Amino acid sequence: MTHTIRRTAGAFGIAIAAFVTLAAPAGAAGETIGGCAIEAAVYAEEAYGSLHAVEEDEELFKKLEKEMESCLEAPSPIIPEVDEIIWGGAAFAVLFGFMAWKGFPAVKGAMDDRAAKIASDLDAAEQAKVDASQVKADHEAALAGAKAEANQIIEDARQQADQLRTDLQARASEEIAEMRSRASADIESARSQAISDLRSEVASIAVGAAERVIQGNLDAAAQQALVDAYIEEVARG
Amino acid sequence: MADDRIGGYADALLAVAAAEGTSEVVEDELFRVAEAARASESLLTALGDRQLPIERRIGVVEDLLGPKVSPTTTALVSMVVANGRGADLPAIVDEAMIRSAAGRNRQLARVRSAVELGDDQVQRLAQAIKTRTGSDVEIRVVIDESVMGGLITEIGDDVIDGSVRRRMSQLRESFN
Repeated sequence: MTHTIRRTAGAFGIAIAAFVTLAAPAGAAGETIGGCAIEAAVYAEEAYGSLHAVEEDEELFKKLEKEMESCLEAPSPIIPEVDEIIWGGAAFAVLFGFMAWKGFPAVKGAMDDRAAKIASDLDAAEQAKVDASQVKADHEAALAGAKAEANQIIEDARQQADQLRTDLQARASEEIAEMRSRASADIESARSQAISDLRSEVASIAVGAAERVIQGNLDAAAQQALVDAYIEEVARG
Repeated sequence: MADDRIGGYADALLAVAAAEGTSEVVEDELFRVAEAARASESLLTALGDRQLPIERRIGVVEDLLGPKVSPTTTALVSMVVANGRGADLPAIVDEAMIRSAAGRNRQLARVRSAVELGDDQVQRLAQAIKTRTGSDVEIRVVIDESVMGGLITEIGDDVIDGSVRRRMSQLRESFN
């Protein structure tokens, strides 16, 4: 970049110096009104012998007068003088050659560098855009993965919750069935125990009553009869 | 070891009774004392309590038996109790009765009755048992009102139960 700027500034300096140098002869070739009039007078004196003769000849005088008046006429605003064309063309050729030799390559080099830099910048921008797109794609992929993972986690949690609810319901059902079975067994046991207690109580009452009746009837004779009956039973084997 | 000790005490009781020439009386008294102790858990506990002084335990024996039994019986029971074997008194006396009967080639038959038995009934019962078992027996009668009526005879491990109490038990079981 610095090299290109330096070369461009050098080319401009050389062009300005050549213009100033070559423009000076062109300026010196320029003709004033007075010079033109003198030149016309000199030409008339040489051509007619003396200016006095011209003054006496009305036709020559008018011709000289016309020549001098022509000096007053402005030069063509469009068509330059020949020497200007020559000097200007030479200066242009020199300048053009110099520019073609030094300026244009420098400008072209700077423009090429600039174009290369712009192309590089465009490439870098394009690469950055590609990178950004890749990063965006990566982020979108990661986001999609995260969403999928989150959905999977939610689904797993929901399935676990369903399984847990099912297990709890099954366990509760089992416990209820077990409690019912245990309650039924307890009721049956209590009922059996109550019946047994009732039977025992009835037996105690009945046997107690029988004992009281028997004891009341077991007098000495009855006791002796029981002993004798026992002895006979033992003897019978 | 415990059986040897009980046997030793039983032999001692029989030897002393024989030496005093009052075997029949002493054996009968010992049997009644042992049955009384067996029937009263508090009495058995008092006789076997080694925490009580010996004099106290002997005093209980003398107060309990006193003039009701012969001096030999009182001395023998006191000897057992003084040696700290009061709790084993029923077992010692049972073993003594068994060995005494065995010395006469007989088996001991323990008969429980609600009423006293006459000699005739005892002899007929002994004959009936001999008829049934083929062995001579020596009958020891224990008055037990819980029998209610009839008899319960124990010969070794065999029991012949013809009591009203058993009938009542059968009746009670029939309700269940």
